[in-house]
Amino acid sequence: MLEAGRHPEVEILAYTDVVGMKKKGGGFALRVNRRARYVKEDVCNACGLCVAKCPGRAPDVFDTGLRKRTAIYLYFSQGIPAVMTIDPDACIYLTKGKCRVCEKRCDKGAIDFDMKDVRMTLEVDAVIVATGLDMFDPTPLTHYGYGRLANVITGIQYERLINATGPTGGHLYRPSDGKLAKKVAYVQCVGSRDLNYCDYCSSVCCMYSIKDAMLAREHDPESDSYIFHTDLRNVGKWFQKYEKRAAEEYGVNFIRGRVAEIEEDGNKDLLLWYEDTRERKVKSMKVEMVVLATAAMPSRSAAELAKILGIKTDRYGFVETVPGSPADTTVKGVFACGFCKRPCDIPEAVSQASAAAQRAAAHVKKAVAV
Amino acid sequence: MQPKVAVIGGGIAGIQAALDLGEMGVHVYLIEKKPSIGGVMSQLDKTFPTNDCSI
Ligand SMILES: Cc1cc2nc3c(=O)[nH]c(=O)nc-3n(C[C@H](O)[C@H](O)[C@H](O)COP(=O)(O)OP(=O)(O)OC[C@H]3O[C@@H](n4cnc5c(N)ncnc54)[C@H](O)[C@@H]3O)c2cc1C
Ligand code: SF4
Repeated sequence: MLEAGRHPEVEILAYTDVVGMKKKGGGFALRVNRRARYVKEDVCNACGLCVAKCPGRAPDVFDTGLRKRTAIYLYFSQGIPAVMTIDPDACIYLTKGKCRVCEKRCDKGAIDFDMKDVRMTLEVDAVIVATGLDMFDPTPLTHYGYGRLANVITGIQYERLINATGPTGGHLYRPSDGKLAKKVAYVQCVGSRDLNYCDYCSSVCCMYSIKDAMLAREHDPESDSYIFHTDLRNVGKWFQKYEKRAAEEYGVNFIRGRVAEIEEDGNKDLLLWYEDTRERKVKSMKVEMVVLATAAMPSRSAAELAKILGIKTDRYGFVETVPGSPADTTVKGVFACGFCKRPCDIPEAVSQASAAAQRAAAHVKKAVAV
Repeated sequence: MQPKVAVIGGGIAGIQAALDLGEMGVHVYLIEKKPSIGGVMSQLDKTFPTNDCSI
């Protein structure tokens, strides 16, 4: 990521949306809207003086709502560009007309409340779509109690909890009472492989839940993990070994059975009802926290973008590619890579990206030569 | 004229594509809707199958 920030040929336009595209010559004229950050990117050095005094509050999106942040905020500490942004919906000045404390605190003059969105046209020879994924919202699956039962969280929330830079400094403090969760259940295929929602396999959740259970044991040798799965789909190179290592070296327990219902007791502990399909018995288990491996879906903005670019998507919203040319979309000169095409892990996203870059470079050479 | 490519989405896939093109001498606009690039990977602590740190 740092490398991209430093590369002289890579111009990062963050906080920016694509709003239109026209064919132009052999290439495209891409209309983009650079949203107003109310902070000058070339002046701010993210010192944080403004944050210390900002009275505005909003859920921290990067930390999946597990903590609140100020209205002026750094999206995350290693982000690029490393500059502050003012959230217009949480800023007291922008919503109520009075405050500007950040402006007073900033000795560099980086705050600019007169900043407006800026529309630009980028003339390019090719486009690569890499809009990735968004998480399925498990609230409609009421039998799992997400949003109603405090200690039911999602996989991506768990990633923030176990992260040393996250809201709990890497400790599995459960939301209801801040108690260290020692017995944790992981529920697989939440929204995935489900005819009512995403009837495909999200492909990465079996593996990341195993990882999460291993990390829990690394943080706390007394922790116990139970993974409730449909069938484990660990199909990559070495993945089988990873599962074995989790069971043998980290004591991770695997239970084949989809969870039917989750209930809460007076201590906010959770009771899982499930069918153990190996023993063909309905059973229950009490745990202190539940992690839902929610389906990974195409980015929520991908449909709109597909319309703008004129590219085809499948019924789930994943970008369609041309048979035999897995990096080419249905529009010549527009390529795609990563999770926006289909579920994939990081190593695969990276190799797809290199393929798309090669295809774009070959196309561009032709376009420039014309 | 220097060739130009727009990469839409600044997750690991978009970043890698941008860097590869940059190395080939192509000018890249890396367009990201969030306040900074990084995508989902930047939210992860360690990654399977190696359990190495993600960033
Ligand atoms: C909880 C969880 C844990 C995971 N753990 C692992 C792991 O341990 N190991 C592993 O290999 N994989 C893991 N994965 C999978 C991994 O996150 C993905 O393979 C990877 O993030 C895909 O990269 P990407 O660049 O395609 O998409 P993303 O990371 O989703 O990046 C897409 C980027 O595009 C931006 N964007 C979206 N729409 C637009 C638009 N319209 N305009 C401009 N920008 C846009 C987004 O803001 C984002 O920055 C995990 C996934 C999840 C959900
Ligand atoms: S990867 Fe595992 S948890 Fe995710 S949808 Fe596929 S089978 Fe279900």
